Amino acid sequence: MRKAMVLFASLFAATAWAAGSEDDVPGYILHHVVDSPYLEIEVPLGNPIKALEFPQWHVPLKANGCAPRMTEHGEEIPGLMDGCLDMSITKHTLMMWLAALLLMATLFIWGNRDKTKLVPRGAGANILEMLVLFVRDELAIKNIGKEEGPRYVPFLLTVFFFILFMNMLGMIPWMATATGNLAVTMALALCTFVITQVAGIRAAGLGGYLKHLTGGVAPWLWPIMIPVEVLGLFTKPFALTMRLFANMLAGHIVFFFLLGLIFLLGHPAVAAVSVPFAFAIFMLELFVAFVQAYVFAMLSALFIGMSVAMGHHHDDHGHDHPEAGPSHDQGKAHHA
Amino acid sequence: MEVKEPRKPGGSDGSELGETARQMRAAQPYISAVWKLVGGAVVGVLGGYWLDGWLGTGPWLMVVLSLVGICVGFYGFLHEMARLGKRK
Repeated sequence: MRKAMVLFASLFAATAWAAGSEDDVPGYILHHVVDSPYLEIEVPLGNPIKALEFPQWHVPLKANGCAPRMTEHGEEIPGLMDGCLDMSITKHTLMMWLAALLLMATLFIWGNRDKTKLVPRGAGANILEMLVLFVRDELAIKNIGKEEGPRYVPFLLTVFFFILFMNMLGMIPWMATATGNLAVTMALALCTFVITQVAGIRAAGLGGYLKHLTGGVAPWLWPIMIPVEVLGLFTKPFALTMRLFANMLAGHIVFFFLLGLIFLLGHPAVAAVSVPFAFAIFMLELFVAFVQAYVFAMLSALFIGMSVAMGHHHDDHGHDHPEAGPSHDQGKAHHA
Repeated sequence: MEVKEPRKPGGSDGSELGETARQMRAAQPYISAVWKLVGGAVVGVLGGYWLDGWLGTGPWLMVVLSLVGICVGFYGFLHEMARLGKRK
């Protein structure tokens, strides 16, 4: 075990040494955490090899929208605001595909498809069942409720495992963390947002849901109150987006920066301190990979639950509802 | 004769909910009220700024809509608080 750890630490040091000069440390870190149109293989004590260059695909949204233009940085293809939609495959896209494939393979191998055998056999199947039951019992039912909770378990499981696999892929050398990309976390949060709104509409009905957006004030105040309420809907997905993105990105930056200290301080002896620290951060990142997947799924369940509960007391906004919903009483019971 | 209890919205008494979910649900009306207070001012300022840029009337629409937004935000906040007080 000790030998394996020394070997692992040496690999870190060799990779860091291969990183280059002290001037290039911030550039090296950024280069590794941001998305790119190619996958690069870093060889310890060698030069990086561009292993795979992905095809570029730009969709013009207007005539000549994707024609290259001269800028101060040289010739560049215009961005979305200038009428060119970039649909190119990137390193992070590949990581998402890989995570999805690995996830499907894992579930295909360890998922129990034989309904006559209710008890899973083997470590893999047991771990999988433990995680699935955890998401169902501790996240879905405890945050949404016994009746509505199971309906959202497939979504919560997909989100939990997909994020977990993407986070874990980022811990493997030569791979990348797709969840350290704002576009990826935003798309995931958008899925939660849509499901949350659908849950609210299902619980309150379309009329009740729209009534919530008026804030319960007089109609002449709606032009101000409706934008306020609509803006308020986006605070939760925004928090989900930033939390996952910042946590995954920050962990990797800290890890690379600790290795970069060897070059910034300019003495090989620094490796004796920075490599063990980087190793500790690496271990912490493994833990964070699970924690962030859990937090995203838990908050998604919490937001869906709040949306369902809000739908069930839409009578607050002036409707007559003969039955008191549980969400009314929960708060009171809790305070009692 | 057995009397069937009416089905409660949500389908359960909520006893299975975790502590965080209970607290968040209890806090939700208060979070919503505070958002109305802040959001009214935000929408007023941003809306006025955008309209000023569009109509070239700066800074008057921003000033007017800021005041309107702050007033509506306060009204929304007090309205929500009064409703919560009535419910208790």
